[in-house]
Amino acid sequence: MRTRTSLLGLAFVSPALALLFAFFLMPVVLTTVFAFTNMSTSTGITGGSHVITGNLLRDLGNAGVDDDIVAALSEGSFSVTPETLAAAAEAGVEPRFLGEIESSLMGQSFEDARSFESALKALPSRPTRIRDLKLATEPFERSILNTRYSSRAAMETAIASMVPDAPVDTVSAIAEASYTGWRWIDGGNFQTLLDRPETIRIVLNTVFYVAATLAFNVFVGLFLAITTFYLPKTGAGFFSVLWLLPRITPVVLYAVMWKWFTWDNGFLYVIAEQLGLPAFNYMKGSVPTAWATIILVNGFVGASFGMILFSGALRAIPVQQLWASEVDGASRWQQIRRIILPQLRWPILFVTSYQTLSLLSSYEQIWLTTNGGPGSTTTVWALEAFNTALNNYTGNLEYGMGAAMALILVAVGLILSILYLRMFRFDELVNKPRIEF
Amino acid sequence: MQVTLKNFTKTFDDTTVIDSMNLAVNDGEMLALLGPSGCGKSTTLFAICGIHRINGGQILFGDRDVSDVPSQKRNVGVVFQNYALYPHLTVFENIAFPLSVRGDSKPDIEREVRAIAALTHIEELLARRPAQLSGGQQQRVALARALVRKPDVLLLDEPLANLDAKLRLEMRSEIRRIQLETGITAILVTHDQVEAMSMCDRIAIMNKGEILQIATPTDMYRAPVNKFVAGFLGNPPIVMLEGRTSGDGRFLVKEGTSLPLPARLAGMPGDTPLSLGVRPEHFGAAGANRVEGTISFVEPQGRETLFDVTLDDGVVLRSIQPARDDVVFGQKVVWPLDAEKLLAFDVSGRAV
Repeated sequence: MRTRTSLLGLAFVSPALALLFAFFLMPVVLTTVFAFTNMSTSTGITGGSHVITGNLLRDLGNAGVDDDIVAALSEGSFSVTPETLAAAAEAGVEPRFLGEIESSLMGQSFEDARSFESALKALPSRPTRIRDLKLATEPFERSILNTRYSSRAAMETAIASMVPDAPVDTVSAIAEASYTGWRWIDGGNFQTLLDRPETIRIVLNTVFYVAATLAFNVFVGLFLAITTFYLPKTGAGFFSVLWLLPRITPVVLYAVMWKWFTWDNGFLYVIAEQLGLPAFNYMKGSVPTAWATIILVNGFVGASFGMILFSGALRAIPVQQLWASEVDGASRWQQIRRIILPQLRWPILFVTSYQTLSLLSSYEQIWLTTNGGPGSTTTVWALEAFNTALNNYTGNLEYGMGAAMALILVAVGLILSILYLRMFRFDELVNKPRIEF
Repeated sequence: MQVTLKNFTKTFDDTTVIDSMNLAVNDGEMLALLGPSGCGKSTTLFAICGIHRINGGQILFGDRDVSDVPSQKRNVGVVFQNYALYPHLTVFENIAFPLSVRGDSKPDIEREVRAIAALTHIEELLARRPAQLSGGQQQRVALARALVRKPDVLLLDEPLANLDAKLRLEMRSEIRRIQLETGITAILVTHDQVEAMSMCDRIAIMNKGEILQIATPTDMYRAPVNKFVAGFLGNPPIVMLEGRTSGDGRFLVKEGTSLPLPARLAGMPGDTPLSLGVRPEHFGAAGANRVEGTISFVEPQGRETLFDVTLDDGVVLRSIQPARDDVVFGQKVVWPLDAEKLLAFDVSGRAV
């Protein structure tokens, strides 16, 4: 009976599990997979083919491959063989002309296009137009450059036919390097991140951003909650709604409003100008004002979140406790400090940990306001990951590197969550609901 | 410390809850504010401790006018109905709270807390938190916290309402013992007449924001000033019979039965409308007059048995007697009525 019940339960839960897997776990799994590849726009996310490009040859030369081999690979030649004849027939070269080529030039090779063309010009039924003649030479060209081979073996064969005396391992290495698809690069992305000088800068930016915004969130949230708590009811409602505005305003609109507020000829600019203070684009004009903008933009959103939670927790404190502390002689400050704040421990810890995690992965407001500038002074990890993977200016989106950066963020978030759970003994706090009478 | 309320008035928004109330609580006395819910007794208490600002009149502690003194500076101890212990502090810290916000030195706090814990018998609980205490223990902690500062007045707001019946009995005498030992002036707010009568020196009975009578429990029980007080005190409650005087020392219940009036009312002119109050203990025990009826309800209560007796015309009298099982439901009885103890009230409800 018991097993049947649990099987039935599993059956009921399975759609939810499937959705959970598809929408929650799959992105994490894919991120993890991508993080260990060099996927980008140029490699694509499906497989690739093997092709030797001019750039690759230059890289090979730089990497110490024998110059003769590189030169040989870059050269093309024209030869009349049954294969090239067949290719030419397929390309639509006139059959009579083709017959003449076969009978007079079969088995011959030409070093370059010019000599092949002059040989063709000697044939009686050659095309009258030079353009057609040039088109007719193309199928006879035997070149490895820019030719796609679907498999590695085909590429190796092609290389060997071009450079018959090349060592086998060199051929194999060239074929390997000619692959255009993505490939596993183990920890390559992470190594690159470690080696990059700007990594440390972004890490420091992120730590500063999270710490400053978090402090703003918690302290302003607490301040707002406590002041509205002591306000008369009607005023309190008004202020609660007022402080909620940043959270309920669509994020883009909210960012645009901040732009109007801080940009050239914006609100602050005009006021500063009137007062004779330095007036400039505060959002992007200097590093301190850019940071201030970012911290305030994100801070007010989080502060309203904190305020809601803290207000709820405040209202859950029985009013008799506050009365009792008053008749016990506690001043308002002592009441806040010794009765209210200790009982807000749980919501404060919750807001702290929740906001740490959400701030670590947030970049939308930064992207919409300073976009990491000026320079990259306000670029945080999540924004850099987003730009790397999804928003590259040059158009080459580095999915693999972006995924690696995202994976680091996930790992940091996980470690922090575990630390928070340990440090604040959430289980203990959650397991003991206390109903006070 | 004597506590005096002079023309105390309290309004909430536009509703006047208490209008010009006067009350004097003597030094060292324990006074009960007794009344049904909504009668203004808790409002009065909260006004005395300063949680509610008063809208008119004066509150005096001794000769000091504290009407405009904030509750922090009134030096009152309050025990709330839900005890209002601070859940994040230990029992020791809870009791020490009034002293530590005042800035007392650590050794002083330690000594005072230990002393008050000894008085309230909670020495062994000092390290616990409120959530780990039973209701009665929480009650003692709340009492200790209210007393530790040696307040001028101790205010108790329905302190026993949240306890089970057995603990309530125990804490009733405990609170009284502690009040007597400390000699503190105390005001107890309660809706339970038994609590008020058993714990307090005097009772101020309230209804609709008004004090109806202030008297010792015995006096109030024996001589209530009006019908409301007579009905509120006494368990099982008094039976009220509506009717008129006959003019010859008897009382004619409107259903028809004729009952004797107490001797002091025998001279009343005839046809005066009256309410006659018969307490259960005055019917069935002793007295010169005999009343005949049928047992219509029997409720054994262990030591006593409660009977309802329906007279021939439908009037129901209540009787409480030492436990007996010789009388059963439906049986005809003739029981004595102690006419001299009967209470009589005029049409406006005042005692006559």
